[in-house]
Amino acid sequence: MSEAATTLAGARKGRPSILRRWVGQALARNLSCLVVPGPEVALAHGLDLAAADMRIAATPRDATVLLIVGELSQKLDEATAVLYAQMPRPRAILVLGGSAPSSLPQADVSADLSQTELMEAATRLQRLLAEDAFAASPDDFDSSILQAKTEYVCPMHPEVVEDEPGSCPKCGMDLVAREAGGDSDAGEHDHDHDHEHHGHEHDHDHEHESEEHDHHHAHHNDHGQSHEHHHDHEHHQNHKRAHDHEQHQGDDDHEHAHCHEHEDHGHQQSTAQEQSGTEYICPMHPEIRQNEPGSCPKCGMDLEPHKPEEDEGVREGVPEHDHEHHHDHSGHDHDGHDHSDHDHDSSGFMSMVEVTKDLPRSADGLAMDWLEVPFGPCFPGLPGGLKLTLTLDGDGVTEGQATSLVAMNTSSEEVAVETFIERLAAAMPLAPVSYRLLACRAIEQAAGLEPDPAVERGRAAALERERIASHLGWLAQLGRQLSFVWLTRRAAALQLETQRADREQLVALRPALQSLIARLEHTPLLKARLKGIGALPHGSQDLRGPVARASGRTEDARQADAMYRELGFEMRAESAGDAWARLRQRHVEIMTSLDLVEVAGDPELPKLRAIDNPSGTGEATVETPRGRATLRLTQERGQVVSVELDSACSQHIGLVADLVEGQELGDALVAVGSLDLSPWEVTS
Amino acid sequence: MTVALVLLTLLVGAWLLAVIEAWLTTGRLRPVAPLLAGLSHLGRESILARKPDRLFFETAPVLLLVVAVLGAAVLPLAPDLVIADLATGALFLNAVLAYVLVSLIMAGWGPNGAYAMVGGWRFLGQLIAYSMLIVMPITATAMRAESLLNSAIVESQAGLWNIVYQPLGFVLFFIAAIALAFRSPFDLPTAPGELAGGVDAEYTGVRLAVLRLARLVMVITLSAATTVFFLGGWQGPLLPPWAWSLIKTLAVAVSMLLVGFYLPRIREADLLGWCWKLGIPLALLNILIVGLLILVVP
Repeated sequence: MSEAATTLAGARKGRPSILRRWVGQALARNLSCLVVPGPEVALAHGLDLAAADMRIAATPRDATVLLIVGELSQKLDEATAVLYAQMPRPRAILVLGGSAPSSLPQADVSADLSQTELMEAATRLQRLLAEDAFAASPDDFDSSILQAKTEYVCPMHPEVVEDEPGSCPKCGMDLVAREAGGDSDAGEHDHDHDHEHHGHEHDHDHEHESEEHDHHHAHHNDHGQSHEHHHDHEHHQNHKRAHDHEQHQGDDDHEHAHCHEHEDHGHQQSTAQEQSGTEYICPMHPEIRQNEPGSCPKCGMDLEPHKPEEDEGVREGVPEHDHEHHHDHSGHDHDGHDHSDHDHDSSGFMSMVEVTKDLPRSADGLAMDWLEVPFGPCFPGLPGGLKLTLTLDGDGVTEGQATSLVAMNTSSEEVAVETFIERLAAAMPLAPVSYRLLACRAIEQAAGLEPDPAVERGRAAALERERIASHLGWLAQLGRQLSFVWLTRRAAALQLETQRADREQLVALRPALQSLIARLEHTPLLKARLKGIGALPHGSQDLRGPVARASGRTEDARQADAMYRELGFEMRAESAGDAWARLRQRHVEIMTSLDLVEVAGDPELPKLRAIDNPSGTGEATVETPRGRATLRLTQERGQVVSVELDSACSQHIGLVADLVEGQELGDALVAVGSLDLSPWEVTS
Repeated sequence: MTVALVLLTLLVGAWLLAVIEAWLTTGRLRPVAPLLAGLSHLGRESILARKPDRLFFETAPVLLLVVAVLGAAVLPLAPDLVIADLATGALFLNAVLAYVLVSLIMAGWGPNGAYAMVGGWRFLGQLIAYSMLIVMPITATAMRAESLLNSAIVESQAGLWNIVYQPLGFVLFFIAAIALAFRSPFDLPTAPGELAGGVDAEYTGVRLAVLRLARLVMVITLSAATTVFFLGGWQGPLLPPWAWSLIKTLAVAVSMLLVGFYLPRIREADLLGWCWKLGIPLALLNILIVGLLILVVP
């Protein structure tokens, strides 16, 4: 049921007037939505936003409505609060098929996940905006998420990061507080970042910094005492909500907590460092390395202590929120970094020479700011829920990594088998049928049921229909990434038609699908854009599904399936292994799946067959649209007690780091997009 | 009076363009949509990014609008409908268009955000690609007219429009004009799927309204320039001259939109490579051919 609030929580301050009323009406008739987790999820749920007169906004800055589709994970919930904070008022929240995120104000309108409900909700929202866009005293939005959070790290083991105070499991030392989301990676690199982002800010904060230095000394001379200082400090933090100030504190604190080698005080740590085989290297000339502190023979800069084995360990401890929180303060996280903290000093003059003098040189010899920029979790060119953190060197990517904010947690409590099936399907919004089938098969296998050909036929048809819809959804996403409007419109329309189509309707769509594919393969610029991008060599491990087949690997769980042999399934594979091959592979698979549905008959949504023996262990494999997924589960008396899921995306997400490194930003994003990652299918 | 007419033409053109653009993306023809969008921008908060370069941030959208209007000021819409028919009109247009880069770099630097900054600097690379392809085809049209006076360039096409006389120049100029207006497939500085709006990303409210308007007016100005240089300007049978200018300008503007609608965004490296390795030799060839034609054909 659709529910609507009576006033708009995100109203803009202003006394209602005739002009403002007009503006409200204009806003109401021009709804632009920021879709969370992403437009592809809305499409996968069969929502047609254009039909409800809603436009998809690329950025929170351009959105009036925050449209939340389905339940959000805790991490996504927090990210959503930041996005909401970035939206200009008047703004509204529309929640479809879920509860309003805890970090946000009450939803202005909430409704179920269906097109009719969406249409109705849109009308209510329009009324609300038209009448209440301006209010004399609107509520402030000040979520705790937007405040700095404190986390606790061990001064000696930076990989130990806890949410609560306590002692380090490795050395027993008391953990020290720092602001979560500071620069957490280590090594030379980190030093650069500190320079970029905080270095010059210290000017404004001199007193504070010197105080911090004392802390630092303290905790090197006497570890036992140091944490007390930090605890005080943390106390301090929790009470003081002046954002900027607080942020600086957090960063300083964090740097020191990590023993990061800020050049001013690197020597203070020498005893500890020497014992662990530290090298000293020049921040400008990485080839200058020596075993003791000193200055660089080339540029005269002080050498930085560097512990080679530290890099990996620390990176593992990187908290998920990282940079977002910097922006929470400023309310514009979406845009990555404050790139130029260093340039607006009191005189207002910026000198590029000054700004770049301490920065590392790129492959092409230019010195540029290296920015660590978050892309996602709600980025228009990437799947929603996926967060890509790229270190940008100009328009080039020096390194990157992907994390899923909506990863599935398989270590769940005991649930009834029926509930388990529903939950698993709901947890995978981009491929619910595949996972429903997977769960049904695993449970049936555990119960010792033999496959029933009649049932399997309908299931196979449903799976293949989902594959067609899913690949079309990927094409629409590619269109969004490349501003290829025609493709987005066409593929999305076909996806909506495919989702619930029966055999007849699907067969009738064949010419439309064929012409879409033929047209794409002859679209100028598209081949040039994708060819050679994101190439994965033939021998790459861990590839599955269309990504594997595009690299020429004959990897398809359907080959082993008796039903598919009966349907005349024949696997076809591209060989180049790049983004273009993946596009063509998906084209081929759309047509293959259509052939299969045509033979198999009407798709039937997988339903659990009657089980006699509700206990046992079962394992099933399904070739989902993104590749083979295997589910192993144990059930006892109709309850699923343990689950183990192995999915394609869990493997593919690990490829991102290699794919993006050294690429131009645009190419890196295309490469990541071409993997068709579903962050939901990543198991944590 | 002339000034008012030209400004009105630009506004009407921008409005029509916005209607058609919305029609292409949403499939609905709603003539009031751009006006509503404009009004709703005016009613929204205009957020100032944290630690912005205030001067750059505020100036950039206005500068872009000024550039677009100044460019239109030297383009004759009819024999007597031109704000300033400068003796160096064709050159002036080139000079004015150079400020698009300045505006975008400012818009990129001003808001103090990574997406915007990458977008701004990307446009610098884009300028290196397209700028010669704006200048060189215009040069060839001026050669035929033996004048830099824009009205003289229109009159020189009385017998045969430049699109026929020098088709190569037209194609190059048309492509370069889309790149200059940073419309898809050359929308590298804004790139919604790569930079979440890039230089646009931090603008909201009134500032965004100005920026959007400026981008639309820029397309109209460049379409008008294409009309003047290659499509015989105001010339045509039956209809009054201003009507011909308007029709041709809109036709060019709409075809620019359509190109973007049916094409994916180009790779920046490809844009640079093709412009320099292919575009510039072709533009030189165009100048050579036009030169020969002028010598050979009386």
